[in-house]
This record gives sequence, C-alpha cells and structure tokens, in this order.
Amino acid sequence: MNPDPVIQLQNLHKSYGSSLVLKGIDLSVSAGQVVGYIGPNGAGKSTTIKILMGMLPDYSGEAVVLGMDVKTQSIDIKRRVGYVPENAALYDTLTPLEYLQFIGQLYELDLAHIDRKALDLLRLFQLSDHANARMTTFSKGMRQKVLLISGLLHNPDVIFLDEPLSGLDANAVVLVKEIIRQLANDGKTIFYSSHLMDVVEKISDRIIIINQGQVIADGTFAELQHQRPESLEQLFSELTGNEGQTSVAEEFINTLKN
Amino acid sequence: MVTIILWVLDRLKSLFQGLGADYSQLHAIVQVKLTMDSRRSFVSLGRYGKQSGESSNNFIRILAIYAIIGGLISFAMLGVPPKENLFLPLTLQFSYIMALCAMTLISDFSSVILDSSDNQIILPRPVSSRTLWLARVVHITSYLFAITLSLTVVSIFILASRFGAASALLFLLLSLLSAVLMVFLTNIFYLVLMKFTSEEKLREVINYFQIVMAILFYGSYQVLPRLIGSERLVSEPLAHQGWHYLVPPMWMAGATETFIQPVFDQTHLIFLVLALITPFAGLWFMNRFLTTDFTQKISSIDQDGRTTPSTLTSASAHRQNWVEQVADWFTGNSLERAAFAFTWRITSRDRKFKLKTYPQLGFGLAYVIAISFQGGGLGSGNFFYLFALYFGGIYVMVAQYQLRVSDNYRASWIYGSAPIQEPGSILSGSLKAIIIKLLVPFYALLSSYVLFRYGFDKISDVLLAFSNSLVMLLSAALLSTRTMPFSVEQDAMKQNNTARGLLISLVLAVVGFSHYGLTRIPFGVWVALPLSIALCWYLLQQYKKTAWESIEMA
Repeated sequence: MNPDPVIQLQNLHKSYGSSLVLKGIDLSVSAGQVVGYIGPNGAGKSTTIKILMGMLPDYSGEAVVLGMDVKTQSIDIKRRVGYVPENAALYDTLTPLEYLQFIGQLYELDLAHIDRKALDLLRLFQLSDHANARMTTFSKGMRQKVLLISGLLHNPDVIFLDEPLSGLDANAVVLVKEIIRQLANDGKTIFYSSHLMDVVEKISDRIIIINQGQVIADGTFAELQHQRPESLEQLFSELTGNEGQTSVAEEFINTLKN
Repeated sequence: MVTIILWVLDRLKSLFQGLGADYSQLHAIVQVKLTMDSRRSFVSLGRYGKQSGESSNNFIRILAIYAIIGGLISFAMLGVPPKENLFLPLTLQFSYIMALCAMTLISDFSSVILDSSDNQIILPRPVSSRTLWLARVVHITSYLFAITLSLTVVSIFILASRFGAASALLFLLLSLLSAVLMVFLTNIFYLVLMKFTSEEKLREVINYFQIVMAILFYGSYQVLPRLIGSERLVSEPLAHQGWHYLVPPMWMAGATETFIQPVFDQTHLIFLVLALITPFAGLWFMNRFLTTDFTQKISSIDQDGRTTPSTLTSASAHRQNWVEQVADWFTGNSLERAAFAFTWRITSRDRKFKLKTYPQLGFGLAYVIAISFQGGGLGSGNFFYLFALYFGGIYVMVAQYQLRVSDNYRASWIYGSAPIQEPGSILSGSLKAIIIKLLVPFYALLSSYVLFRYGFDKISDVLLAFSNSLVMLLSAALLSTRTMPFSVEQDAMKQNNTARGLLISLVLAVVGFSHYGLTRIPFGVWVALPLSIALCWYLLQQYKKTAWESIEMA
C-alpha cells in the first residue's frame, strides 16, 4: 500500500448549532482504494464529505486531503477532488453540454477541450441525442448521468460519490460500477457512500461504518465478516443498533391492521 | 443582452482581477446565470406582468415601462425649472432611482442573492468565495444598471440638451453609482438581518419584508404623482443644511449641480466627493470584509433542514389543535375538514403564496384609505364607502386565484390516487379556509374603517357588501376552471388573466350600483341581506357538489 495517505482525518468534530454531528472521526485512506462509507440516516456521512471538500470550514480536529490542509488550501484541494452529491441540484434550464462547459470553466479547463471531452462522455452514457436539449425534461437517471460526468470531468484524484447509482437503469448501474472499479485501478481514491448494502459489499475494498458521529467499524468486508460471519446488511443493522427489524416489521403490520 | 453585458465585463477584466477574483471563472458564472435567466420564466420579476415565451422580452418590456415613467418624471422635473432650482428635482430623481433599485434588490433579487443551489453546484468546485461573491454582484448589478439606464435615458437627453454633454455624462455616471451604492446598502441590510435573526428565520423575515416593500411599492404609485404635482418644490432654490450630507440622493444631486451651474464651492465639492467616493468605498469594504462572511452565512442557510425537527415545539402543536378546532366549526364532513386544515396550514407556510396574496390585500386597504383622505371627487361622495367595500372584493379574489397554485404542484398526485368520492368537499373546505382566514379579517378591517369614518348606521351596507362579495367569490370559483388546491404550476396560470379581471370588475360595478340603488329604498338593504345570504349558501352547496368531471387535473 501507498505509505502516504490520500485522506487523513484526526479527531474530527463538527456541530451544527448546539447539536454535535461528528464526535471525533479518525480515518486514513490510501490511494487506489474504494472506500464504502456507510451509516444510518443522519450519522454524519455527508457532513464528513463536505468537510473533506472544504465546504464546511468551521470544524475542529485535523483534516488533510492529498497532503493539504482542508482549512487553508480548500481551493487547491477542490481542483483535484470530484464530488457527486446525492439528488443534487443542477441548473436544469441549461443543456447538458452548456452545463458541462460551465463546470469545466470553473476548473479552468480549455473550452475546446471541455467540449470534446463532454461530448465523448455524454456519448458513452448514451446521452448524445440529448446533448443539446434542456435538462428540465430529463428523467432522474439522465440527470444523474450528467451529474456523474460533471463530477469527473476534470479527472480528479479523489472522488466522493453519494448514492451515485440512484435513478440509473440496470445497464447504467453495471457501467458505473465498472467505471468506479477501473478508476480505482488507475490509482484514484473513491469515497463511496450509499444505503444499498449489497452494492457497497461488492464494490468496496474497505468498509467504514459510522453511527452517531463515530466510526464503529473499519476494515475490508472479509475482516468485518471475520468477526461476525454475516451479510453486510445484517452486520450493518447489528452494529448501528437496529437489530430485530423483523419484530419492528411485525409491529408495523399490526399497526396497519388496527 | 447577455452578449452586451459580457462584452462590458471583458473590458473591466483588470478591475475584477484587482479585486481578487479569478476572471475566467467569474465570466463563466455570470454567463451561465444570465443565460438561465433568459430561459427561466422570470419568477422574480413575475409580478410586473405575465410573461409569455422567452422572458427576456418581458424584462425588456419592463424596461420600456420604466423608460416611459422615468421620461415623464424627467420632463416634469428637469425640463422646466431654471438651473438654480434643480437641486431638489435632481434629488427626487436620484431618490427614485435608488428606491427602485433597493426595491428590486430586496423584493425580486433576494432569491438571487440568497440562492442556495449555488451551494451544491459551485461550492464543491475550486472557486474562491470572493469570485463567487463578485459574480453575484455583477449578475445583480447588470440588471440594476439596465433598470437605471432605462429610467434615466430621457433625463440624460434633457440634461445634455440643456446643459451640455459633460453634465449628462456625470449624471449617467452618478446614476450608475447610485445603483452600486444600493447593492452595498442591501448587502449590509442582509448582514444585519442575519446578525439579529437565526439563519432559519432569515427567509421568513425577508418574506415579510418583501410583503411590506411590495405594499410600499404599490402605494408609491399613488403618492409619487402627488409629490410631483406640488409646484412649490421646484419654484425656489433650496438652502443647504447640515443634514443634507447624510442623504445619499442629495450627494448625487449636489454633485450633478457642480457641472450644471457650474459651481465649485465647498458644499458642492463635498457632495461631489461623497457621491464619487462612497460607492467605491462600499465596494471595496464589501470585497475586503464581507465576502467570506456572506458566503458562509448563505451556505449555512441550507442547513436549516437539519434543525427543523426541534422547531416543532409544544407551542406549534397547540396551534395545530387550534386549527383543527376552527376547522370543526366551519366544515360539514371530514373531507372538507381535512381540506380546510390543509389549506390553512399551507397558506401560513408557503412563502410564495404569502408574497402573492398579502401585498394585494394590504394594498387594497391602503388604497381605500388613501382615496378616502383625498377629499373632493370620489372620497367625499356618499357612494364612496360602497365603492371601497366592493373594491376590496377584487383583492380577495386574488387569494382565491392563488389558492390553486403551488411550487409543489406535483404533490397533487395524491388527489388522483386517493379514493375521493366528493372532490367538491375538498374545494369547498379549502375555499372556506381562505374565507375565514383572509376574507373575514380583511373585511373586518375594511368595515371598521368604514364604520368609523362614515357612521355606525352603515352596518347594514357592510353586511350586505360582505355577503355579496362572498356571492361573487363563489360565482368566480364556480365559473372558472375548477382545480384542486395547490395543484397547478405557477407558469400555467398566465392565460386570460386580464379578461377575467375585467369581467370581475364589471360584475362588481353592477352589484355595487344595485346596492347603491337599494340604499335609496327604505329598508331595502335589510331586505336584500337575507336573500344574498341565501344565495351565498346555495352557491356554496353547488360548489360543494362539484364532481370529478368538472375538475381539471394536470
């Protein structure tokens, strides 16, 4: 493994107002890994990613990405990091091409270069026919493809993906998974956040589970399994303190009947 | 228009670089924003008129209107008086420019200034907060400049022909600087607002502020012509006083005077310096101290979703029960009750609805009071209080009209999937909520004013007018295409608005005149009252019986 970690978090704390969202996260990720970053709703996943992106500067603790301090060098970090947020907004009165041109310009890429690249990428995602149509009419899957391209356009070294498969059809899901794999083989670091346990189980080299602002499990799936030989889904609910979903389901059904 | 702005921007490249922005990024952001504006149906300027198709035409139409209004004012104020007396007219001109800029900024561009979709799209990119902030300022300022230019174009020609090109150019420069100054002051205003209110309340506060501004804006149509009419203003030169140095439009006016007269005494030089320095100082100050603070504040607005669970305190739970209670009193069946409570709550929380409705109601009241004080003409007549009562009816219909519109119109699939037997109950329940919530308080205010001013014996007229207004409201609801509450997209509402408005005014006039006729007959009003109430009840039952066939679903 690469000795220099790409992402390093030490004792990371973050609060919104009076509520403490992250309670001391410690993490170290090296290049070429796909990290599955999972946790229940509100566990602090997006907050961690936003801090790593330099979008939330008022945290305490240490956060270093690509050897740069997030607090002081966020612009330089952003240049080399890609981010695909969940259900993200995009300027949908634009066409995909215009939108990607705009995003590319924010990374100070050459316009002709962006055009060529964007058209190629759109073609590979089978959006060629829609390259010049306004995105207001796009389906969720088509938007998600545009978002994925916009996050990867500048060929980043570290990629944060939040529910990147949402809305995609089965073929596109296979394609995106394969892209993620090959990006990792190329030495990119991928931070993959999702609620779909089976996908995370298959795609990740390493799995980190957080709950209530703390890391509660960290290791390869095999390592995690070693402790308790189960599926990731079962493991997850066990670790996040939500066992006995069967009885909850029974109660749910009974409440419906009443 | 986009190309012109970008061309100007390119000329100013080194200025932006000097201010610490990354020019190519700034260019890209401004370009994209302007392109989107030209495609988007202009929600922010929507209240100026209904847009059709490409909205940049709409904006140009607004500019044309401004040019005409500005032109008329300029002719009246700058065309006639001798050059010694121009100080006050010029002050008024600059006040007008500044007021319009400030109002545009606060009421129309709040959404632009506080736009949080940028947070998701631009914040993850390597764009410094200074660049983003400057791009926003440029975006907004380009609109303000367009507005300012259209307002002053006639004045510029008048000044050029009367006092030479130099004064006209100075006037132009100072007008643009006024716009810049307003950007500065609005920024300060927002920052102060953010200091005193929690971020989650900010949008709420701004919403109410917008409502107040809108009322003032409508009201100023009434007041402004009267101000201009007063001849005394322009007939004598003004002695300069100490407090004049605190009034920004006076700086601008004084500075313009230096060229017009021309005069270079101490007073005018101070004005000139203030006029030229402050906008730039403001810009520098904002750029130096406020940018990071501002973007950070704005990005935290997004987070208010996190804290909402805690806002559901016992007080609001109590309130909800109270709404249920009111719903119980006024509704017949459970479907109607549900629609009543639903409408009541949405109308209290949907900012767009409030922004579209409350200013109209406020203006209705303000207009009636303004006219009644005018003396002579309409205000003094016996007829006036009736006019006032019925005139108010028009404004209430706006609320009924807005009831069907929502940004969340897509959520109306629920009406389709739920097994609703009598959709009319939903319609009537939600109309009742509007009546109880908006119409009754509005009429209470209006009629207490009428009773106070014209005597308590007008109570019968007030009651009949209220009942008649209900009848007309119901007729309007029955006659227009019926849709479920909050199920229509804003943009879809533009058609046949004027025709409908005309028809309503006509009917109102007829009913109002008939009412006037009744006041001539002894006890006529008292006899008509039960009839009107009966009709009202009957129409409500009809409305409640609306079947699915007569409801338009998206």
